[in-house]
Amino acid sequence: MSRVAMLIDESICMGCRGCQVACKQWNDLPGEATTQQGSYENPPDLSASTWTRVKFTELVQGDNLQWLFLTQGCLHCGNAACVEVCPTGALKQHPTLGIVTLERDLCNGCGYCTQFCPFGIPRLDGDVLSGEGLAYKCNFCQDRVTNGLLPACVQTCPSGAFKFGDRAEMLAQGKTRVEQLKQGGFPNANLYGEHEMGGLGRLYVLKEAPSAYGLPENPQYPVMANLWQNAVQPLGTVAFGAAALAVMGFYFVARRNIKMEEVEW
Amino acid sequence: MVGNRVRRVEEAGEAGVIRVRWIPKYTAMERVFHWGHTVTFLALAITGMILFFPFLRPLAQGEGGHLIRLLHRASAIAYGALPLVYLILEPRRALMSLKSVFKVSRYDVDWVKGMIPYYMFARHEAMAPQDRFNTGEKLNAVVIILGSVVFAVTGLIMWFGKGFLPIGVFQTMVLLHDIAMIVTVCMFIVHFYLAVLHPLMWAGLVSMRFGVTSAAYAQEHHALWYYGPDKAKEIYEAQKAEHAAKAEQSSG
Repeated sequence: MSRVAMLIDESICMGCRGCQVACKQWNDLPGEATTQQGSYENPPDLSASTWTRVKFTELVQGDNLQWLFLTQGCLHCGNAACVEVCPTGALKQHPTLGIVTLERDLCNGCGYCTQFCPFGIPRLDGDVLSGEGLAYKCNFCQDRVTNGLLPACVQTCPSGAFKFGDRAEMLAQGKTRVEQLKQGGFPNANLYGEHEMGGLGRLYVLKEAPSAYGLPENPQYPVMANLWQNAVQPLGTVAFGAAALAVMGFYFVARRNIKMEEVEW
Repeated sequence: MVGNRVRRVEEAGEAGVIRVRWIPKYTAMERVFHWGHTVTFLALAITGMILFFPFLRPLAQGEGGHLIRLLHRASAIAYGALPLVYLILEPRRALMSLKSVFKVSRYDVDWVKGMIPYYMFARHEAMAPQDRFNTGEKLNAVVIILGSVVFAVTGLIMWFGKGFLPIGVFQTMVLLHDIAMIVTVCMFIVHFYLAVLHPLMWAGLVSMRFGVTSAAYAQEHHALWYYGPDKAKEIYEAQKAEHAAKAEQSSG
């Protein structure tokens, strides 16, 4: 099987939040007590128990109001910084499907994934003082996908905004849809995720520029993660090895040249 | 070995007995502080490296990983509190030591020059007179003090700033924390070698354990401290002149 992707057509999404409910059901996540914020958007943010969520944006353009929906969740980067920085190996990428999963039994709650994700997706549920905690994020229902089922959110979507399958196929469908939208009165329509971060596993068909939805226009693999993994870590290994070897060398030279009988006590 | 030594003493009589005159070097508080800092430093280094090195990954996973991270934080509190407590208990001595550690003189340059000839080839005349802390000890102290400041600042930001500060800040802190770790652990390796393994520095470990050092050792290793600046300089110059004369004789 080749790399899979989820294609979410935000021009079709009607903001029913069925995906949120299905996600909670399949992953056995509790609901959250929230308060009225003056929007249909609820809960207010992704959290340890909300792995996918429809974000509501009211875009005012002159006299025209557009209600933009964005189904937030892990974007399953081709080049995933969280997997690289995870010190436990709890975060991993499926070798063929490309799904980025989090094995909670291995997680130690360090929260590096939450600090290196360019989209701010993983959430840490933990105690600040002791650092006890675990990270949570969408895993594309890898358990369902590897058993021939669709992810829960895709399965449940009544509007048909979700598609899931071979990534190349999803890209082709997304591009066709963008062309349709452009001709149908959405000149800013675009497909998000073809090349970003090594190609995303969650592709969005957007009516407006990504920034209008609160998505980063040009997400970058964090420079610090690169420096850390490819420079500082090898440097540390080499430095300790060199220091230990040098010290051993010095010891043998010193032992040969120093006569303790001549040393005054 | 003990049997051997006893027989040699019997044969040699009084001349076979090593007589050491001990002089005080470190207070009890200084030693407790030093060893407390050693233990917490090692605890921090070990628990920290478990998150740093990929080959130690199995120890960082799951419940064990939670425990490692908790131990790292607990040790960090002790590591940070120790110097502050010491500063309160012995403020004048602490300031005196701090001053001498950050003081740089011509003898420090000479120490660096004479480091290899002295420590590797036992050329005694190459060693410039040293204060209560020699240049190497001062360098170790400076690196550990500055490193600890970096550890404390970056560590506290990572501990309490996660989620509140921009992720770029957190990422920079991770990197700085790691760089400080590499520098200080390398320094520790060298310090361990000179203090514990190096044969000429035998009295270093003794004085950090019992608080005293031998007068003969202090004369050779800490002349500036033992004799005072004027006499130390005199002896150093004479030593160098004598060596130069000898070298000339042997070559001529």
